[in-house]
This record gives sequence, structure tokens and C-alpha cells, in this order.
Amino acid sequence: MPTITEDCIDGFQQYYSRPPEMPKKKSIKQMIYDAEENSYFGRTVESWAKIGIFYIIFYGVLGALVAICMWAFFLTLDPRIPKWKLESSIIGTNPGLGFRPLPPVDNVESTLIWYKGTQYENYKHWTDSLDEFLEVYKVPGLTPGRGQNIYNCDYNQPPPRGQVCDVDIKSWAPCTKENNYSYHKSSPCIFLKLNKIYDWRPDFYNNSQTLPADMPSSLKNHISELEKTDPIKLNTIWVSCEGENPADQENIGVVKYYPIRGFPGYFYPYQNSEGYLSPLVAVHFERPKSGIIINVECKAWARNIKHDRKDRIGSVHYELLID
Amino acid sequence: MSYKPHLERADSYRVATVIATDDDNRTADGHFKSRRKMPTKAAKKENLDDLKQELDIDHHKISPEEMYQRFQTHPENGLSHAKAKENLERDGPNALTPPKQTPEWVKFCKNLFGGFAMLLWIGAILCFVAYSIQATTSEEPSDDNLYLGIVLSAVVIVTGIFSYYQESKSSKIMESFKNMVPQFATVIREGEKLTLRAEDLVLGDVVEVKFGDRIPADIRIIEARNFKVDNSSLTGESEPQSRGSEFTHENPLETKNLAFFSTNAVEGTAKGVVISCGDHTVMGRIAGLASGLDTGETPIAKEIHHFIHLITGVAVFLGVTFFVIAFILGYHWLDAVIFLIGIIVANVPEGLLATVTVCLTLTAKRMASKNCLVKNLEAVETLGSTSTICSDKTGTLTQNRMTVAHMWFDNQIIEADTTEDQSGVQYDRTSPGFKALSRIATLCNRAEFKGGQDGVPILKKEVSGDASEAALLKCMELALGDVMNIRKRNRKIAEVPFNSTNKYQVSIHETEDPNDPRVLLVMKGAPERILERCSTIFINGKEKVLDEEMKEAFNNAYMELGGLGERVLGFCDFMLPSDKYPTGYKYNTDDINFPIDNLRFVGLMSMIDPPRAAVPDAVAKCRSAGIKVIMVTGDHPITAKAIAKSVGIISEGNETIEDIAQRLNIPISEVNPREAKAAVVHGAELRDVSSDQLDEILRYHTEIVFARTSPQQKLIIVEGCQRMGAIVAVTGDGVNDSPALKKADIGVAMGIAGSDVSKQAADMILLDDNFASIVTGVEEGRLIFDNLKKSIAYTLTSNIPEISPFLAFILCDIPLPLGTVTILCIDLGTDMIPAISLAYEGPEADIMKRRPRNPDVDNLVNERLISMAYGQIGMIQAAAGFFVYFVIMAENGFLPMKLFGIRKMWDSKAVNDLTDSYGQEWTYRDRKTLEYTCHTAFFISIVVVQWADLIICKTRRNSIFHQGMRNWALNFGLVFETVLAAFLSYCPGMDKGLRMYPLKLVWWFPAIPFMLAIFVYDETRRFYLRRNPGGWLEQETYY
Repeated sequence: MPTITEDCIDGFQQYYSRPPEMPKKKSIKQMIYDAEENSYFGRTVESWAKIGIFYIIFYGVLGALVAICMWAFFLTLDPRIPKWKLESSIIGTNPGLGFRPLPPVDNVESTLIWYKGTQYENYKHWTDSLDEFLEVYKVPGLTPGRGQNIYNCDYNQPPPRGQVCDVDIKSWAPCTKENNYSYHKSSPCIFLKLNKIYDWRPDFYNNSQTLPADMPSSLKNHISELEKTDPIKLNTIWVSCEGENPADQENIGVVKYYPIRGFPGYFYPYQNSEGYLSPLVAVHFERPKSGIIINVECKAWARNIKHDRKDRIGSVHYELLID
Repeated sequence: MSYKPHLERADSYRVATVIATDDDNRTADGHFKSRRKMPTKAAKKENLDDLKQELDIDHHKISPEEMYQRFQTHPENGLSHAKAKENLERDGPNALTPPKQTPEWVKFCKNLFGGFAMLLWIGAILCFVAYSIQATTSEEPSDDNLYLGIVLSAVVIVTGIFSYYQESKSSKIMESFKNMVPQFATVIREGEKLTLRAEDLVLGDVVEVKFGDRIPADIRIIEARNFKVDNSSLTGESEPQSRGSEFTHENPLETKNLAFFSTNAVEGTAKGVVISCGDHTVMGRIAGLASGLDTGETPIAKEIHHFIHLITGVAVFLGVTFFVIAFILGYHWLDAVIFLIGIIVANVPEGLLATVTVCLTLTAKRMASKNCLVKNLEAVETLGSTSTICSDKTGTLTQNRMTVAHMWFDNQIIEADTTEDQSGVQYDRTSPGFKALSRIATLCNRAEFKGGQDGVPILKKEVSGDASEAALLKCMELALGDVMNIRKRNRKIAEVPFNSTNKYQVSIHETEDPNDPRVLLVMKGAPERILERCSTIFINGKEKVLDEEMKEAFNNAYMELGGLGERVLGFCDFMLPSDKYPTGYKYNTDDINFPIDNLRFVGLMSMIDPPRAAVPDAVAKCRSAGIKVIMVTGDHPITAKAIAKSVGIISEGNETIEDIAQRLNIPISEVNPREAKAAVVHGAELRDVSSDQLDEILRYHTEIVFARTSPQQKLIIVEGCQRMGAIVAVTGDGVNDSPALKKADIGVAMGIAGSDVSKQAADMILLDDNFASIVTGVEEGRLIFDNLKKSIAYTLTSNIPEISPFLAFILCDIPLPLGTVTILCIDLGTDMIPAISLAYEGPEADIMKRRPRNPDVDNLVNERLISMAYGQIGMIQAAAGFFVYFVIMAENGFLPMKLFGIRKMWDSKAVNDLTDSYGQEWTYRDRKTLEYTCHTAFFISIVVVQWADLIICKTRRNSIFHQGMRNWALNFGLVFETVLAAFLSYCPGMDKGLRMYPLKLVWWFPAIPFMLAIFVYDETRRFYLRRNPGGWLEQETYY
């Protein structure tokens, strides 16, 4: 470097020559291909090739680095057990609820179940999507591993590790496919499921004396009745569906829950065993007021489930509109 | 008295007052200086005509009576108070109108809407539009867009206020100059002597001026006693000029009966009538014209504009492209708008302009501490790009203090010490020759030290009297000790002061030897005149007859010293015989009754204004830095050449045409002008050359001295250099320099000797008037240019990991890996301090050993920098960010493959049970927490890779192991960004405010391999860069 500088200073070339004033605009054609310099987009073919090869190598090596990192990272992951569980995972320990059927995919922001009970075409989407959702429950072969891992669970008979409980689809009546899930009668069934969280264990409300104040009285009554008749079934995550506002509560009509009013405790904890399917509760709105939107909020009840309407934890919100 | 013919001096400043530069908004080489509107020709013409007309004043020509009539004043009684009041109301105060300032709010708006601000405003407006649409169409609108819109507006406003504040702070420095000590004037009104503030003077006032005063307005002198003014700031004339009441010249500037506003009275007293005030004074008109000249964009401003255009171009291109792509992919138009906002925010380095401002401010401060006061922040860098410096001689290159440089006695030339700190060689002070010479120099000398300077070193003491005598006085004080005491012991009996006809000065003294009744006559003056009066010469303690041989020796010495550009004085003495001149003899100095012939010649002393100690070094530095130093001076060519040689502006062995002619003994016309690298150009020649010839001079001579130039010709020289494509720095102190200072790329005014007007016109002020300070300025300017490059490279790099998440979000349908708020946290938070700290980075190599940058080719931001920042380092950073993103998603349950295409479900509030790869189902809130955790982690990983980026940006060529980590500001920056990142992540409440979530410690680590990769890659790259200078890698990646 220094030699160049010294030459410049000692010679007569003491000033930088100004580049010739460019004509204001190079034509676009000239920008793409400049015959004078034999260059495309300002570089000759050779120059493009060199810089191209440089970047191919550069990104090749960078890609390889990413691949190595990814590979090394995947070595630390277990395919069946999430790396972080419960509190240490962001999913936390407070499951939410999900409902089916969902509105069509192109209307993914909506939670409105809206149909006309008298027209098959009109409620077809809802029943079809329920058919699709419940398919796996009907045909065990659709869920890998369900066949061999199925176990006939009961409250006093929790599944051994690796086994999964069966979900009895027949007990959902009248919310069955054969009955169009009662949609044609303008008394739709909505299926609820509790969000699966790996290793999450519910802390049941199994004592009618310690129920929280904000629990709906119908559920309280149900629990205390059950306490007398079949106390073993108290190990259940209870479910309640109510209208969100006083008006909705009036419009909602009678709500029935099948097969039982909650998710049986023996389904928990969820440990990603092969063939596991969430227990479902079919909520049957027997006589909802038609022609008006009903805001429904369903809550799951266990001691370690907190509710927050805004964040929709421990609960789910949807609207019914039956014309 | 001196060897200094006044050659066409008068003419040189006649041109000086006629400012003929019609600023056409072009630099000298025809490039447009700025994008301002062209002023209408007519208005400009009128302005110039106006100026010429006003020069034709006749106040100096008319008879005093007529003048008193005209101003309705009286020489003894002055104006009446009523008339004065009336005039004041009519004409306004007697002060220069300050140059028109851009109104503060315009400046503020410029900061608020200039640069990237417009782009961010668009982003903010889009945010508000998106929010208002959401608010009207959806029941529960998310406040995100409103929030972001507010944040963006806040960012623009805060950075706007910040740069405005920085700007106004640096302009405040100037105000301190404006508010100088108020000037007072002694005025006679209604026969009463009043002391008024100079502003309150009006036309017709009769003022009294005495030495040391500044002339308060343009005045016509009606009475003067030994009155001399220093017109140097107006005309460049450095010698004080006597002024009297007689009208001597048509030209108002040359006639003796006018004294001008803001020049200084150096001797005597005078009384005069104010003939023009304020802006109508000669000074005021020049100042007005100079402030009318618009200086173009500074080089750094050009670079920053270039850079802003580049980045804005990229942002708009990407924004529009993805806007269209989003439409094609079937996104809702509102989503597309939101993408557009994201891309704009990610693309614009919000903090960068503030960073640049801070970097420049830091350098400006550093320069101020080295005596370079920068008025305009951008001028900080201009010095670094400077390729030609046109420097004054007096005071800038020299000490502005006559000093005895040589003595000739005992037939040999003795060199005196001219250094400022007396560190030079000492000479023998015991020889009889020196004793005799020093006795004359001590006694035949009227200069005296001013009182009250006891602690001051002798050379720095102020002296009342003529410059040459002061030089002798100081020299003698240094050699002999207490001069005043010696004079006391040798009492002065009579004296004939110096005058220009006889060119000598004589005084007669009693001697200190009480046994010797004789008195001593001492004489000094122009050497040839002194020699004429001598018949003997004192050599080696003996008095010899002054024969031809001795005269020859004298002539040689005289020529030699004269050739050095020095002002030579001859000294002789004579002991008057006591029989003829006994004690009490009446010496008559008017009709001389004592011998002043056949004296004894003792020796010569020569004086020069010696160069400042640091200057030769500084000039050498400039030379090695490829900067051409041109000396422009009003001095005589020989003196100018001698100083130029002694400071290295004309380097050893380089000859001028005249030198070659002399050496070869041929006429000048036969010398090939191309052979001479050096040139000394006389101002008189300069007036006759065409611009082509001037170009030739500038092009074919590397070492040029312009002598006897008027400040006006400086402008021509500056234009010539600019025509050559040079970036020109000009120093100047006079009012007449101000057009040149304005025209130059960087005008440098003198802090001590400079006039206010020149300071106003300049971009920089040298507080110590020292040329060497310019060189430090150049060094700092170059360093900051390099460091700004590094700083910008550092800041731009993080743009890629900021944009790429958005692109992936749109194209791959994955949950957003990095949010807009986090982007702002990087741009305005963690990146700021490290980017600024790069301004403190030391130079990599000797930056004063390379040529100045070529303003047309070496851009601040070039494609190589973009290629490095965006194409290479940025990509590694993006890879790091995405890797962290995928790690966190996978560890929480969403394996990468699951993420592609999930975006719609992910972002839907309606979906409360999104299944991950482990069958877990996520509520909307938990998903968003996960997403924001990923944003935080992406952010943290950018901080981690920016560690490496910061370290590699420290150097552009050297290894970091060579450069070291001694930049403590930068080390602090590393710690700071880490602590800030940790704070943003872990501080409780951040999840609500900025949606930053605490990270697990392990999530800091995935970026580390990429950090190392950046470091290793760039070390390797620079290793090859050093190994193959000029190679392909350098052409493609050395920014």
C-alpha cells in the first residue's frame, strides 16, 4: 500500500480525477447489459461468477453450520417427552378448553356456530366437521398404537403406564352422528375437550364441602348428589357451560352433558402414550333460543384450574346462533 | 529601515474590496453545491451593483465644512441629542446585522422530517390507520397497532429532538463568540464628552479614538495625532498605516482621512465624524456579502444522504415487494399493511442518525480540546477529506512575532535561537563583537516591556513599540538580562527617532564607566545606509579600516540574510571625544550638531517572524498524508519562500523556476516550467493569469507559495483548487477572507487574530491560530470517517436478523420470530452505545500516511459494506436468531416442521387448543407467551452475535489481536448491551410493557456457535485481506 501512495504524491498526479459527468439517466437497457464494459447489471460475467461462487460457498458453509447445530440440538430432544414440562414449560399448568365443531378454516378468527336447523346444507359443515373430529374415536386404527395400548379404564382402575383409556362413544347419545348430533332439531351438541398438558395432574373437587363460590349451583348440586350415590366418580374434572351474560343465561335453555358432566380423572396425566385420545364431553343445548346470538362460556373445574375469561384459560368461549 | 520594498502593495488591496464572486451555486469545477433554488439573476446583480455604488462614497473628498453641513454636525460640539436620537431611529443601531438564521422551528422540523424520519412517520401513520380500521370493524381490537404507532411517533420525535438539541448546542458555541465584550466609544454631543456603547453611534457623531481602541464606525478623520490604524482585517495589509485629516486618494480605502469600522487603532489619537454605520460600513458590506454565499453540502452530509437514499431504497423496495407478495398469497390487505409496517421498522436503523450525530459530537469535543473549535458538526469530517490546505503565513505558520534570527559580527554569521521555548542553540556571548553589538541594540531602542508581566516568559511578554525593536529588546533581554537597568545605567542624552527619509535612528548615551567621560553615540538602521556612514569596522575586538574587502564581506552577509527573507538592520557606534562633546553639551536633534559620519560599524542583526515549532512537523505530516499545503500570504516573496522552505512547504532540493534559472545561469523564460516542482507566485502575476493558467500552476507544481496576494485573490486560488477536484481547507483571519472561507469546503478562522466576520464565515476556528492544530483536525476527521464506517457497518448488520423474521413470517407462515417492539429495542437500545463506542476506536494504521479519500469514489457506505453487513455477517446473525427460535419452539413442544403453515391458527384468538408435536394443546395466551419468549430470545441472540460483530467491526484490516481491546468505551458498550438485554428480559413487568419474557439461561447459548462463526469468519477474511492486498477479496469485501 504505502508505495502506491508515495508514487501518487511525488508525481504530478496530485488530484483525484473527477469521474466523467454521467448523462443523467443510463438507459434501462444499458443497466441490464452494458456493451461497452460487457457487463450485466454492472458486473461482467466473470465477476458475477466469482461473487456467485463466493456466496454459494459462504451460504453452503453457513447452512452446514445451521444443520450441525440443529442435528446436535435434536439429539437432546426426546421424541415423546417434551424437554420442558409443566411449570418449566411455557405451556404452564393451567389447561384451557377446546370446542368442536370449529367454524370453517377461512373464518379462523371466529367462534360463532351459526346455522339453520331446518336445512341440511346449512348445518352440513358443522356435522361434517364433527364427523371428521370424532372419526379417530370411532376407528381405533386411525390412531397409531391405540389398538394395542387400549385399556378398559375406570375410576378404580387407572391405566398402567403406556396404556391408554378407551372413550365410550355410544354414551354420547343423543349427540351421535346418526342423530346428526341433534343439529337438525336446532338443539346442537358441542363437544368439549380439555387441553392436554404433558404430565399434568388434576386436583379434583371431590368434596362438596369445599367447592368454590363461583361454581354454578347446578354443578354443585350434581357434585353433592354424586357424593352420596357414587363417590368414586368424584375424581372428575367438572364441566359447566353457561351463558356469559344474564341475557345469555336466559336464552341458553337447558344444557345436558354426556356421557358424564366432566372428564374422568383416570385419563390423567397425559403422557403422550401412543394411541391416547382426550376424553370428550358432549354438551347438548336442548332448547336454545333461536334467532339470537348466545354467548356461551364453558369452564373446566379442578382445584388447579384457574379461570380467566379474557385469556380463556380454564375455559372456552363460543357463540351460538340458530336461525 | 528595512529590506522590504513595498511592491504594488496598494493595488493588491484595491481589488480586495470589490467582491466579484457571483455565487452561482456551483463549486469551481461546475458541480452543483447544493440543491437550493437558484437565486434570480436580477436580484443578485442588483446586490452587486448596490455594493459598487456604495463604494463610491465622497465623504472623504468633500471639504470638512461641507461634511459638517451634510451631517448637520459640528467638529467641536458634535450632534445635538435630538438629532442623534432622530438618526438612531432612522438608521437603527450601529451594529452588523447577524447573518440570517434559519428560524428555530424550521431547523426543528428539518430534524423531525428529514432522514429516515419520513419513513418512520409513514410507518406510524400506517399503524394508526390499521388500528382505526380494526377498532371500527372488530369488537375487541388489539391495541398493538395503536401502541406501535405511538412508539414509532415517539421514536421519531425523540430522535428529532435529540439531533436538534445536538445541533443547537454546537451553534451555541458560536454565540459565545458573538457576545464579546461590548465596545464603547467616546462621543461628543452638544459639546459634551460621552461614553456610549458603539451600537448607539449615529451618522454625524463626532468620536474620539485612541490607540488600542477598535474604530466604532467608518469615520472621516478631522484631527489626528500620530494616528495609525491596523487595516489588516480589512485589506490584508499587515503594516499599521498612518491616518490624518488630509484627503490623499480617490479610493476611500486608500485615502488617509478615513478609518474603518472594526479595524484597530494602534498608535496615537484621532477625532472623526461618523460617515457610515453598521451594515453600511465597508466591513458590514463585505460581511453581508459573505453571509449571502451559500456553502454547499459538506462531504459527510453528502455521504449521509447517499446512505439514507440507499437504505430508504431498500426499505421501500422490500416493503412494496412484500406488500404485493402478501396480496398474491391471499392475505387480507390489513395484514399486508401490517407487514409493510414491520418491514419498514426493521429496515430503518432508527438509532443510526443519532449515533452518527453523537460520534461527530464526540470528535468535535475532542478536537475542541486540541484547539480546533468546530462550528458545524459536519465540518468535523470535512477536514479529514481535505486534500489541499491554503494556509496563511503570519500567525498560522509563524509565531506572529518578530524575532532576531541571525547576527553578523566579527565577520561571521551567528544564528540566534528563534524557537518559542528557547531550546535552540546558544551562541557565544562573551566576544567583544557581540558586546558592542548588544550595547547598540540595547541602547538604540525605544521599545519597552509593558508593565505587570513579571511571571511571563520574556518571549511572551507584550512590548510597546515597533515589531523590530521589540525583537531586539527581547533578544537582548535574553542575552544580557535586565535591559531596562542597562539603559538606566547608560542614560540617554539625546535621540533622533527613525524616519523614512534617513532610515536610521540615533541616540546618545552616557556610558556606565564612571571613569570615561566620553559619551556614546549608537545608531541603527537600513544596513546600506549605516555602512555609508562608517569608516571603520569593529572586528575581533579591533577597530579596522573599512576597506573594500570588508565591504565585500558585509555585502555577502547582507545578501545572505536578505535571501533568507529576513529583515536586516545595521548597527554602528562611535565614542564622541570628550573634549569636543563634554558633559552638558547641548545636542540638537533637529539640526544635528554631532558627527553622524565616519562611525564604527559593528554588525548586522536580522529578524524574521519564525515558524512555529510544530509547523514543520505538521507540514511533513500533511505531505505524507497526501495533502497539498499551499501558502498564501501578503508578505514579500522572499520572506514567504524562506518561511516556506523552513517549514517544508517547499521541500529541500525542490527548486522554483527562478532557482533553476539562477543555477543554470539562463533567463527564466528558457526554463521548462515543468521541471520546477515548486513555485512562488506573486500576487501581481496572479491578477493577470487566466483560470487555465492558474490551473496549470496548480497542476504542475506540487509546492506552491502565493506571495503578495490580497485576501481577495485567495478566493481565486480556492476556486482553482476546487476546479482541480480538491477538497480545500482555507485559513483566514481578515474580513476580506470571509468570501474565501465561505467558498472553501472548510473555512478555518483564527481564534486569536481572526475578525468576527471571518469567524462567522468559517466552519472551524483554530483557538491557538496554529497550523499544527489543523493537522490534528485532519487526523481526527479521517479517524471519524473510518470509525463512522465501522459504526454503520455494525448497526446495519443487525438489520438482516430484523427483516428476515418478517419475511419468514410472510413466506413460510410461521409464528412471528421477532416483533417490531423488540426491533426497536435493538435499534434504539442495545445497539446504540456499542455503535457510539466505535467512535472512540483508535486508528488501525497511521492514517496520516495515506492519501485523502477520493470524495467521488470512497463513500461512507459502499456496496462492499452493504455486502458485508447484509450479505455475510447479517446472514450469520439471522441464522443464529432463527436457530434460537426453533430451539425454544421445539423445547416447548413445537418441532420446526410443525411450525410451517401454522401461522393462521397460531394467531387466531378463536383457537384455544392448538396441538404441538407432543400432543399438548396450547391456549391462545400460552402460545403468545411462547411467541414473545421467542421474540425475547431472538433479541438476546442478536445481542450475543452483536458482541462478535462489534469486535470484528473494530478493525477493517488488522487482526483484533493486533488492535487489542483497549477501547474501554467499547468494552463498556459490550457490558452495557448485555446488561440492558438481561434487564429487558428479566425485569418484572416487562412482559406487560414490552412483551419481553424471562429466558432460561440455556437459551442464551444457542447463538454462541454463530457468534464464534462470525468472529472466526471475519478474522480469516481479514487475514487473507492482509496477505493479498488488492486481491479479489479486498475488492469485494473491504469497505
